[in-house]
Amino acid sequence: MARVKFLCDVERCIDCNGCVVACKEGNQVPVGINRRRVVTINEGRPGEKSISVACMHCADAPCIAVCPVDAIYQRDDGIVLVNKKICIGCGYCFMACPFGAPQFPGDRVFGARGAMDKCTFCAGGPVKTFSEEERRLYGQNRIAEGKVPLCAAMCATKALMAGDADIIADIYRKRVFRRGSGAGAWGWDRAYRGK
Amino acid sequence: MNLKNPYLPLILWLTTLLATLALAADPLQLTSFGAGPSSAAFRDFAAITTGDWQRYGQLFTGWQASLFPRLFLLVLVVPPALFLLHFLVIGAKEFDHASGRVLFFGLLVRIIHWLAAASFTVLAATGLMIIFGRHLGGGSLVMGARSVHLVAALVFTVTVIPMFLAWLRDMLPMPWDLAWFLVMGGYLSRKKKPVPAARFNAGQKLWFWLATVGGGVMAWSGYELFAFRAVTDQLRLMAILHNFLGAALVAFFIIHLYMSLFAVRGSLASMLNGYKCREEVEILHSRYRID
Amino acid sequence: MTNSLNDIRHAKSMIFIGSNAAEAHPVAMQHILHAREVNNAPLIVVDPRFTKLAAKATDYVRIRPGTDAAFMMGLINVIIENGWQDKEFIRTRVAGFPEMAAVAKQYTPGAVEEITGIPAAETVRIAKLLADNRPTSLTWCMGGTQHHIGSSITRTFCILQLVLGNMGKSGGGTNIFRGHDNVQGATDMCVLSHSLPAYYGLKDGSWKHWCRVWDVDYEWIKSRFKAKKWMNSKGFTLSRWYEGVIQEDKIEQYTPIKALIQWGCGANSNSMFHKVRKAYDKLDLIVLIDPFPTMLAAAADKDNIYLLPSASQYETSGSVTSTSRQIQWRDKVVDPVHGSRDDYQIMEELVKRFGFADKFYKNIKKTPEDITLELGRGSLTIGYNGQTPERIKRQMANWHTFDIDTLQARGGPCDGEYFGLPWPCWTEKHPGTPILYDISKPVAKGGLPVRNRFGLEHTYSMSGRTENQLAAKGVANPGSQVMGGYPEFKDVVPGTNWKTDLSQKTIKVALSRGMAPFGNARARCVVWNFPDQVPIHREPLHSPRPDLIKKYPTYEDQPNQYRVFTRFKSEQNPELVKNYPYVLTTGRMVEHMGAGAETRSNKYLAELKPDMYAEINPRLANDLGIRDGEMVWIESPEGGRIKVRAKLTERVDNKTIFLPFHFAGFFMGTSLRENYPEGLVPYALGEPGNIVTNYGYDIITQIQATKDGLCRVNKA
Repeated sequence: MARVKFLCDVERCIDCNGCVVACKEGNQVPVGINRRRVVTINEGRPGEKSISVACMHCADAPCIAVCPVDAIYQRDDGIVLVNKKICIGCGYCFMACPFGAPQFPGDRVFGARGAMDKCTFCAGGPVKTFSEEERRLYGQNRIAEGKVPLCAAMCATKALMAGDADIIADIYRKRVFRRGSGAGAWGWDRAYRGK
Repeated sequence: MNLKNPYLPLILWLTTLLATLALAADPLQLTSFGAGPSSAAFRDFAAITTGDWQRYGQLFTGWQASLFPRLFLLVLVVPPALFLLHFLVIGAKEFDHASGRVLFFGLLVRIIHWLAAASFTVLAATGLMIIFGRHLGGGSLVMGARSVHLVAALVFTVTVIPMFLAWLRDMLPMPWDLAWFLVMGGYLSRKKKPVPAARFNAGQKLWFWLATVGGGVMAWSGYELFAFRAVTDQLRLMAILHNFLGAALVAFFIIHLYMSLFAVRGSLASMLNGYKCREEVEILHSRYRID
Repeated sequence: MTNSLNDIRHAKSMIFIGSNAAEAHPVAMQHILHAREVNNAPLIVVDPRFTKLAAKATDYVRIRPGTDAAFMMGLINVIIENGWQDKEFIRTRVAGFPEMAAVAKQYTPGAVEEITGIPAAETVRIAKLLADNRPTSLTWCMGGTQHHIGSSITRTFCILQLVLGNMGKSGGGTNIFRGHDNVQGATDMCVLSHSLPAYYGLKDGSWKHWCRVWDVDYEWIKSRFKAKKWMNSKGFTLSRWYEGVIQEDKIEQYTPIKALIQWGCGANSNSMFHKVRKAYDKLDLIVLIDPFPTMLAAAADKDNIYLLPSASQYETSGSVTSTSRQIQWRDKVVDPVHGSRDDYQIMEELVKRFGFADKFYKNIKKTPEDITLELGRGSLTIGYNGQTPERIKRQMANWHTFDIDTLQARGGPCDGEYFGLPWPCWTEKHPGTPILYDISKPVAKGGLPVRNRFGLEHTYSMSGRTENQLAAKGVANPGSQVMGGYPEFKDVVPGTNWKTDLSQKTIKVALSRGMAPFGNARARCVVWNFPDQVPIHREPLHSPRPDLIKKYPTYEDQPNQYRVFTRFKSEQNPELVKNYPYVLTTGRMVEHMGAGAETRSNKYLAELKPDMYAEINPRLANDLGIRDGEMVWIESPEGGRIKVRAKLTERVDNKTIFLPFHFAGFFMGTSLRENYPEGLVPYALGEPGNIVTNYGYDIITQIQATKDGLCRVNKA
């Protein structure tokens, strides 16, 4: 079975937050929970770069390793999902995650954390597909509809890509190859000064 | 506190060490690298999203994934096994109740002790429920345990303070405590030979300091983990601290249970009614001045 | 926009000046980045601010606000000095070049550095970069237009492209990005005070043309006006309508304005909003038609104000015209919710109550298709007649058959058509014109020469030279019966010309001869009916460089500009900068749209950008003792003041303050939260940046000068 992945092309991400809003609107994610976010470095200076980050659906996911109740699991296609009925909201997955993906609503007594929420790759969750319960707990199941996740579908500059790993890697490889010569190529400005 | 206390530097050093460990997380900071290729930016992105994952994230992940559950399993299995052996080989210490009674624990102290004991028991039990949550199926049961853990922590934090103040004087380390350790408190022999200890022996002192100061650290790190507002790296260190200290506390809790329930007959009763028999005091607390 | 967004994919270089496409036009960015990556096209960004677009640029040039014309003339000068201009293009298709070159000569790199702050060597380098990488796609937006010399600045952009020979070429052109999907459509319908739809103007002939289109009696239309002269005189503009109420500047109208209808217009996009608010208090009647309550709903604190909730774009259908002049059909997704009605229904109810529904709806039986047909039949100047609703809808259904690079359909029911039938689309068989002034293709296949609009020849007052205004011999679209310049078509149907012949016979005859109905002429560098025949730099009205005012002064005051006295010379005070030392410029952020009533009412967008702020350079902030996130007062010379959060960033230099203009709901330090209708308070409220934008209006269009004012900043 093919494995799905996300890839954000930093040279193309323009920090428009379209992916973030698409995700939130489409999955009705509460305010304060960021399944996806855009991070910018060197804002307002040469070298400003942005990247859109969500759960990367890691091959050897640290969150699965640290979960004390085995609430997180990985599908055959690589999508990492959480079972919100098993999750106890301990927060360990957040500490293990290299991407800051797990999110926690503070909706329990004393504002304690509820079950973890994160990017589902728009693949719903471990309840009946297309059920009302799936929609309420996990959001849309676009994968079951044969569509790419909302964020990538929304990306205006095609910076954020989602789908079959081989195809995405191929697109990115071509881009890098094309960018590799000429404008922006390492050393050219210094070595040739436009001549 | 007596400033001339020879152990003050040691206490200060330990506190500083713990605090340094906890605060060692790098602050959220942007570093400039100029207009370079995108690959150069990735490290900076990572620093913003998750702190220093290579150092702290990986450490936490590795330990949480394999070390902590095993450590707790070890704590739950090894001491009870050793104690079973001890109980079978050496057996409980029994003292002559005809030797008379000595009022050892006042009423207030006993109330405080039992409040702390109850809340601590709940803390340990719910904590272990979280650690071994996968075997309980997670969900609302373990989530409930988390909530109870939180309430129990509040009770414990409140009661541990008067307990600390009440017993502080008697718990200060003394030179003879080393000697107590050398004879392992006399528990390895059936002979009733006086061991060097005043109101509390060195083992009890260790338990006291762990339960009060360690309990305080547990409360603090627990709060940080509950609030979840600190820098991610700090959260990771807090979780590591909470787990290691928790393991130590559970270990001592088991020792304490064995000592009071099995190793010394009548020990439980003494904490209920406040009296110990004179012989027990003379042997196990030989330096205690009976008024 | 002469080309299209997609056509930027063919650019060999791109220059953006006064445009922050990454935030204002994120969807266009895919084509820009494509050109950068695939063609290795340099992406040059000229802006006072290091924008998010600048972050994606290969070359960033920081310019002092309001000096774009000087930089452009400087580039033109360097190009001519070095002989880099497209000599053949200029010889055959450009008019008034020597006259323009004589003016440009004054803008040496040194002079440009003095005015703009751009190092002389940088001007030369950018000129060379453009000369070496042709064609260049040039884009400007509000940063180019919202100055008192905005019309001159935009002309310098066009002249640069003419000099480089980039007009009428794929990958070239002047590509002005419009805002949402129908800004171009609104412009084409001239929802403005100086022209009837499709740029027909206000002359008697124009009125008569449209009366024929509408099938109403010209005399009846005339009778609706107080006197005939008001039919032919330009009305108040959006930027100064409130003067018609408060009359702080003298107005030239028989009555002050008494009623206001704001229909899909964000009130806080008006400069000097604190004066606009004064007008609200004096009006007899205010009607607001909008899906969300705008700043008007909160700021107008009076009786006799009506809020009519209108439907959003998803609750109605009809044609819209995109920035690339493409017409698309928008389908209704859901019926209007929350008791709102779509704009057609609201208009119908209004017209019925006014009592002229019979005349209004003469040609309109089926809404909205008949509206599209009617406006198309009348808008011959810009060739809106070929885009029938059937053709547009057919394209929508066959989206996939169009090529992303050429915009042309390959096979299928729309074979050969360009997407959106970009105007001019002369007939119902015409494929649309994807690139204006492109003479490489026959007119019937989407080619187009330059319109002959300004006579056959002209004697320049500047030089005394007389020049033929028609294109040179040998230059015409392939298949043209006249290989060379030719005038516009008229009297094919006696008494009409190509743009007033409703039978469209003139257009068809022209196309059958392989020619454009509007002639084949030259593009002008000299506009003899403008105050500046050749565009020059003039210091902003509120200039931070008093020393330059004498050398580059503004215009004389205009006693009757769009019915109101408009100050120029008397407003340009060299002393002003002493009390108001920082340049104030405004702009957009990607999360909010326009005046923000809609986007600030979206919880997710409000979550991303909840606060109004002012961008201040850390160096300036440190000098003023302001810390990041602290509240500051920003004050304008006109008495406007706003209390906003300081955002310390190097996006701006240490003389410039930047404000986003999307916020509303606060007014000079007070919250107007209570004034919103219950349950409709936007999630994000803030001070409108336009309270502190300065006085100043373009000499031709009267667009407000929001990009180059002055202000002062104090810690709150």
